[in-house]
Amino acid sequence: MKKHNLKTTILSNRQVAEDHYLLYCDCPEVAISAQPGQFIHVLFDQGSGLLLRRPFTIYSVEGTQISMLYQVVGEGTSILSRMCAGDSLQVLGPLGNSFTIDESLDLAVVLGGGAGIASLMLLISALQKRKIRTDVLVGAMNQARLLSIADLQKIGIQPQIATDNGSTGHHGFVTELLLTTLAQQKAQLPTVFTCGPYGMLKAVTEICQQFNMPCQVAMENRMGCALGVCLGCVCKVRLEGGGQDQSGDLLFEYQRVCTEGPVFLGQQIIWD
Amino acid sequence: MTLPTSERLHLNLAGIQMRNPVMTASGTFGYGSEYADFVDLNKLGAVVVKGITSVPWPGNPMQRIAETPSGMLNAIGLQNVGVDGFIEQKLPYLCDYDVPVIANVCGKQEAEYIEVVDKLSATNGIAGIELNVSCPNLNCGGMSFGVDPQLTFQLVARVRKATSLPILVKLSPNVTDITEIAVAAADAGADALSMINTLLGMGIDIKTRRSLLANVTGGLSGPAIKPVALRMVWQVYNTVEIPIVGMGGIMNGNDALEFIIAGASAVAVGTANFINPGVSMEIIQGIDAYLADQQIRSISDLVGSLET
Repeated sequence: MKKHNLKTTILSNRQVAEDHYLLYCDCPEVAISAQPGQFIHVLFDQGSGLLLRRPFTIYSVEGTQISMLYQVVGEGTSILSRMCAGDSLQVLGPLGNSFTIDESLDLAVVLGGGAGIASLMLLISALQKRKIRTDVLVGAMNQARLLSIADLQKIGIQPQIATDNGSTGHHGFVTELLLTTLAQQKAQLPTVFTCGPYGMLKAVTEICQQFNMPCQVAMENRMGCALGVCLGCVCKVRLEGGGQDQSGDLLFEYQRVCTEGPVFLGQQIIWD
Repeated sequence: MTLPTSERLHLNLAGIQMRNPVMTASGTFGYGSEYADFVDLNKLGAVVVKGITSVPWPGNPMQRIAETPSGMLNAIGLQNVGVDGFIEQKLPYLCDYDVPVIANVCGKQEAEYIEVVDKLSATNGIAGIELNVSCPNLNCGGMSFGVDPQLTFQLVARVRKATSLPILVKLSPNVTDITEIAVAAADAGADALSMINTLLGMGIDIKTRRSLLANVTGGLSGPAIKPVALRMVWQVYNTVEIPIVGMGGIMNGNDALEFIIAGASAVAVGTANFINPGVSMEIIQGIDAYLADQQIRSISDLVGSLET
């Protein structure tokens, strides 16, 4: 798939939750080919002394427009959050692999933690189009940081909600909702799709291993080039065929989140 | 994009015929194919590939990169497919293009360098060897050669005996006097010098009191190091006779011209590839436009033309 490097302008950039923003831009070349789980690598405000681009998952595709839902986590996203309609962005994309929806899939659980839900919205739409029964579980630190509930309801999804402080929904981790959901589906085990904080992805993978269910995780990492050359965004992936070295450690290789990922089978990742 | 093919950009770098002086810096351009959507490889002066070792190296744990003011720290640890993997899986793609391929070679011991150089010399499609004696992210080998004039001399002399390919020695800036190392490399038979590799640096997250990099220290690249690189190119240009490939924070045509005026016969674009994947094409255009504007007939007339 051809990758594009395009100059575009921000159409809107508004706060949607505490520390979270939703940005729209016109990007027809990316919009036409973007797949669920893919991302763009964005350069903005070169006057600030920031050097590198920042990777953002593609949250939605509407005609020629794409959007990104992002959390302010550092200097770069802080600058981005203050940018306005009309400001320019340089967008590289679409990048990375995508979630795989098997032909035989008829039951899915999609689990997003924090801003991780942003990587899952295109997938949820695709599952809906394929008429695959989909349970969506959304976790957040608190109600003020809860994301995407209205967007999910708009497409007819009633998500289960968990907050760490119990300010809305289940009081606890979203992984607890996963266990409850799985307990109710003993007859048929779903495929789990997830994105969120590292610890949550690790926990989801462990649960899926217990239940012997496939689990696709979208990894997020700091990136340099996002084109597979700088090798700055790797994660530890078990070698095909498994095996251990002389000291008993699993054999692995570092794979690039930008190229072999961002979507990996959770069971392939060696979680530290 | 229409790119200049004008003869004023042509050069012969240590026996390597190049259509212009713009190369890609090792480790910032993969093996060429990754940039095919943005760069016409046939338009580049040369492609310098990711560092190659005798066997595949896994690389360092995460975190491997961090941004710093106008710069970037990296401690990748030379993750690469090894020389056999390079020759079998990566080189054939590049051989389909009409562009000189320069292989960056690294090792922990002299014997490893020789093994890689032997295999590359026996392979079609390699225009030159860039000897990496300056990687800052290895516990042994790499930079430990390039900070000692005697070790540099020995290694380059051994490699000189092993190959008839042009040898570029990539120098480390992490030394007291870079001209000493440059002289040692030239005396041992190097055909050209690539300079500079990254500057050893670090950054700290004060919340966790941890380094920004798992390796604790890493190599600093990007515009932050350009003044240091320029100074070193100028010093070495005034000390040795062999040509210099200048690099370190080149972001645009003007930056490249600064290096050429300081004494570089060619330039390599590194970190800028991460920010603007098509930047090498823009730099070629920028250099050509300058030559046209200044009515300079050949790029070689500009090399080392600093007024003092």
